[in-house]
Amino acid sequence: MMEHIDNAISEADKFENRLDSYEDILGHVKETMEKIGGKNAMIEIANNNNIKLMKELNKVISQLNLPHSQQQALDEPDLKTANGRKAAIAAAQCLQQAMNSDIDPALLRLEAVQDQRKRFEKWKQKFSATVSRFMNNLFIHLGNEIGDMQVTSTELTLPNHSNVHRELTPYTELMHWTKAMDRKTYDGLMRVYTASLSKIYDRDVRNFFNLAKIQVTEKLRNSREDLDMSTSSRKSAVSTIPYGTLGINRDQWGPGVETADRIRFDALLEKVLAELEPIALQEQLFCINFFQMDVISPTTKNTQTTLEMEKAVDMTQSIIAGAVSPSADGVPQKRIDRQINEDVRKLMMGLFGCLEPELVSFIQSFERVDSFYSLYVFVRLTQHVMSAQDTHSFLSMTFASALVQVKRSFDRFMQNQLLSIREAKLHKRSKAILPYVENFENFAQTAEGIFRKSDRRTDMEKWYLQLVNAIFEGIQLHSQEHPKTPVQVVRMENYHHMYALLAQLKVPGLDALKKEAKKCYNDALKAYVTQYFGRPLEKLNQFFEGVQLKVAQGVKETEISYQMAFSKQELRKVIAQYPAREVKKGLENLYKKVEKHLSEEENLLQVVWHAMQEEFIAQYNYLEERIQKCYAGAMINLEFNIQDILAFFSDIARSH
Amino acid sequence: MSKKPTAGPALHKVIMVGSGGVGKSALTLQFMYDEFVEDYEPTKADSYRKKVVLDGEEVQIDILDTAGQEDYAAIRDNYFRSGEGFLCVFSITDDESFQATQEFREQILRVKNDESIPFLLVGNKCDLNDKRKVPLSECQLRAQQWAVPYVETSAKTRENVDKVFFDLMREIRSRKTEDSKATSGRAKDRCKKRRLKCTLLVFYDLIRDISSRKKQRQTDVKQPPKPNSHCCQLL
Repeated sequence: MMEHIDNAISEADKFENRLDSYEDILGHVKETMEKIGGKNAMIEIANNNNIKLMKELNKVISQLNLPHSQQQALDEPDLKTANGRKAAIAAAQCLQQAMNSDIDPALLRLEAVQDQRKRFEKWKQKFSATVSRFMNNLFIHLGNEIGDMQVTSTELTLPNHSNVHRELTPYTELMHWTKAMDRKTYDGLMRVYTASLSKIYDRDVRNFFNLAKIQVTEKLRNSREDLDMSTSSRKSAVSTIPYGTLGINRDQWGPGVETADRIRFDALLEKVLAELEPIALQEQLFCINFFQMDVISPTTKNTQTTLEMEKAVDMTQSIIAGAVSPSADGVPQKRIDRQINEDVRKLMMGLFGCLEPELVSFIQSFERVDSFYSLYVFVRLTQHVMSAQDTHSFLSMTFASALVQVKRSFDRFMQNQLLSIREAKLHKRSKAILPYVENFENFAQTAEGIFRKSDRRTDMEKWYLQLVNAIFEGIQLHSQEHPKTPVQVVRMENYHHMYALLAQLKVPGLDALKKEAKKCYNDALKAYVTQYFGRPLEKLNQFFEGVQLKVAQGVKETEISYQMAFSKQELRKVIAQYPAREVKKGLENLYKKVEKHLSEEENLLQVVWHAMQEEFIAQYNYLEERIQKCYAGAMINLEFNIQDILAFFSDIARSH
Repeated sequence: MSKKPTAGPALHKVIMVGSGGVGKSALTLQFMYDEFVEDYEPTKADSYRKKVVLDGEEVQIDILDTAGQEDYAAIRDNYFRSGEGFLCVFSITDDESFQATQEFREQILRVKNDESIPFLLVGNKCDLNDKRKVPLSECQLRAQQWAVPYVETSAKTRENVDKVFFDLMREIRSRKTEDSKATSGRAKDRCKKRRLKCTLLVFYDLIRDISSRKKQRQTDVKQPPKPNSHCCQLL
């Protein structure tokens, strides 16, 4: 039993040992398994990393890869043929894409990447140089080609250079590429383009304006044949007083032009402006497109090609499309537009450098022949400036600055007119109608013809007001200095003339002055009639003035005749001095005097005489009434009655 | 006129006559300035001058616009004398103004001493046809008797305004060319005619004198029937 038990115990021990060894083994296995598990995970991570690395590398490689064919296209581009151009542009765009590819900064440190980028840089520089050389030659060639063409046109037209534009259009994308990739080359090319084309435009514009200037004088010569006999001697003999100067007599003016000439000048100016517009607009449009000027690129930018990558990385997107992003980098759209406009204008200025001085000198060629030129040039130019859609364009700005000058000479012209009125001098043989009053008609009609339908009416009306006011002041002043005509007649006739003129002009702004003219005319007429009519019955008038004085002092009218100085006897004595015959003679003399005073051209004799007849009858009636009142029952009458007076009037009427 | 007209375009002198308020000034202003003035302000005497193109020739027209009412008719003598042609205006809405044309006509003939003086009878305010008081036939009959044209106008609508002025200017012009063509022989004839008229004129003056004296005596405005009509027959 014991044995059995011992046996069993030892068996159990053995078993136990076995179990222990098993356990040991299992422990090892577990350890190993664990280790294996760890390794496996590591392997997986490594694997993943490798895959990622592969991907990145693939990406980098594909981004930085440039197919051989493209390399070739860049190396030896054939820019002359359409196909070659296509390939070169495609390759160049690939290169641009590759160089601008978004690569992790860390990867950029890879030598291979660096190497590839260096290679890119080389390609770029080489290609850029090729393009530059090619375009450079092309620009110069085109410039020379047109420059060599003979200009035979005698027509007033500005040659159109759309053929140049057509030839250059296929290279547009190359220019865009150059702009993005190599600013220096781009700027250089732009300069070359400007230089070679500006030569052509310079010549065209000068020819054009020379022709236009010749037409100004040519047309004038035809219409001024009488004066053309000896231009040189005429020049010296001719007065320096500009034609149309208000304050100076017409016969002292220098030569002027007819309205018909002025209309021709205006038409010529219109033609010139209309010719300039499409040419300048076409060139501008082409340049904006060709040089991609509607897109702004930050000047400091470059693509990531610079090896100082830290900086490069900092750069945001290299291109800000002006039209698309409303406020990239917080730059307001307006400022971008202005910047674009500024650049375009600079370029156009380079191309059409001589346009403004030529335009100004052309306009001045009018000044020499027509002192009124500033009026219609002002109106015409305003029209063109106002109707321009793009007020900031080069041409609009050029026109606008010419307009400013014209406005200045317009104001100067008006100012001189004003001065001439103020400084007008009367001569011994001056006519009753003052020179500025007489000249104003022609002046105003000319001005109205030009300004009637213009936007610039208000500018003219301002001057009308000043001029007419100055004329009125002048009438007041000069009427007192007139050598032979009485003050009141000068005023009457001049205001009458002004009234008729203003009524005819119908300038709304002058309505008040028109009324003033009428009032002044009526006042002067009245003053003339009462003063110059004088009193043909002077002594009778004086007598009754004395009577009135007494009455005012309190003497009764019926008792006047008891006053010594105003007795019936005295009255009879005075009355006796005015027999009908004398009165008639007096009236006849008066009529002659009035006829002499008044000018034929104002035709106021009938008006004045009418008023004088009325005045005389009124005086007669007054005297009769006084006599009947103060000397009632004395049977005293004047020695003529109303019928006599009317008969005198009729006789005077019949005597001429 | 004693003064010689200055060289330049031909000058035609037109006188507007007619009663007060018939539209003489309105016609004148419409012709001169293309404007119609609504408010009425009696005219004393106004002179206007305008350059116009008459059948392709530039001429000047002088218009003397006169007062419709005048205390003494003789005052008109002087400007009638200066006129070369007359627009005798009445209003078709006012019979009295039509009757008054007779008197104006007579005075003009007397002063101008010339029966064929350029003269148009003008019935104004024809836009107011519904208020017509003077039958058209009567107007035409009178014009026929005088051997002058009759035209109806409206200063308001501008109807026939240019026509009356231009028609009158044409008459004045043809009258002038006729006169200048007239040889000395014809001039003599004219002289004889004139002398004859002068005697008539004295007669006229007498009658006028009588009539105005009567007028003065009668303080109420109504005038006695005119003895003028007899004179007309005398002519």
